[in-house]
Amino acid sequence: MRESPDIAADFSFEREKAIAKNFSQRFQWEMILIGLGQAAIWLSLWPLVLNGLLDLLTGFLIASLCACFAYLPSHEAQHGNYSRGNPKLRWLDSFVGHISLITLKFPYHILRITHMKHHAYTNDPEKDPDYANAHNTSVLKVIKNVLDGSTLQFGKYVEVFANDKAFVNAFHQAIPLAMLFKLAPMVLVIIYPLETLLLWWLPAKIGSVYTTVFFSYYPHLGTSAGRYKDTRFWSHWMPRFVNHSMQLHFIHHLHPSIGHYDEPKAIEALKPFLVAREVPGADQIPDKITFNPLIKI
Amino acid sequence: MIVEKIFDHISNWNKVWFGLIFLGSVINAVLQKFNLFDDSPYVLVFAFGAGALIGLVAKIRGAWL
Repeated sequence: MRESPDIAADFSFEREKAIAKNFSQRFQWEMILIGLGQAAIWLSLWPLVLNGLLDLLTGFLIASLCACFAYLPSHEAQHGNYSRGNPKLRWLDSFVGHISLITLKFPYHILRITHMKHHAYTNDPEKDPDYANAHNTSVLKVIKNVLDGSTLQFGKYVEVFANDKAFVNAFHQAIPLAMLFKLAPMVLVIIYPLETLLLWWLPAKIGSVYTTVFFSYYPHLGTSAGRYKDTRFWSHWMPRFVNHSMQLHFIHHLHPSIGHYDEPKAIEALKPFLVAREVPGADQIPDKITFNPLIKI
Repeated sequence: MIVEKIFDHISNWNKVWFGLIFLGSVINAVLQKFNLFDDSPYVLVFAFGAGALIGLVAKIRGAWL
């Protein structure tokens, strides 16, 4: 990476990378537990509700909670953070990535390839698949667009990246699963209409809104293109434990291999680098992040 | 060729099919659950017709909301 002459040697990319590496090695067992756990709980809701052992509205609330927990474990898988470069563990990425996303009705491979492009072209209006969400004018419009399904422009990105064989192949590989996720609720709804609505369709929408608002919109709001400029530190009234700590998403964009639950410690260690590089909002990062809810009223 | 035609059809008419099958089934279930229009023989027609109509409006508008 070419360094700006204004950056002191103390804050070089090599040093930053070396520090980040210390937080990029731990096995992400919590994420596996959350990913597979929420999918198992969600699946168990069906027999419980259908056999009258659980009230449908309670099932709906639990399913919605599961849907909100569904994306992040898959996101870690998309970055290969379970296998960590070990070819023998690559199945684990794929397994957790696929299973975790059943609740949200999304095919893993499509989210994986579009997310990789989001990292490569963050805030590029033409090439960033998250651009429409991240640069919307209000959170209400983001919610409307997600509910509407109008931000899912996967077809557009197949055209944009038509020359990227790996992208196109992975996209086509995911089509059967995408079709299954479209067809399965259509068949289920005929047999179990209200259960399909309240255990799958609506929770998946709620989970998608939650994920888009906190993963795509807030972290990139008002940011520009560039490694140290495309994601920001932010905070608001909500404790970070409620929104998967997406206030800290900027560190993920800088070092995607840092495990999600290791990000607070990594930021504490890297804070001088982030301030020196003028990451948006870095001057407001508190010295202690671990267990800090980061509330700003 | 046939697969392509099916894909084209689904992508052009998915909102109407979704309205007819998904929304129609849900509306029908809600009407039955709350015993609305109990004595009417046309509940099914109304439910699936309303679902298809909502889907058709969404197709014409190009968006659900």
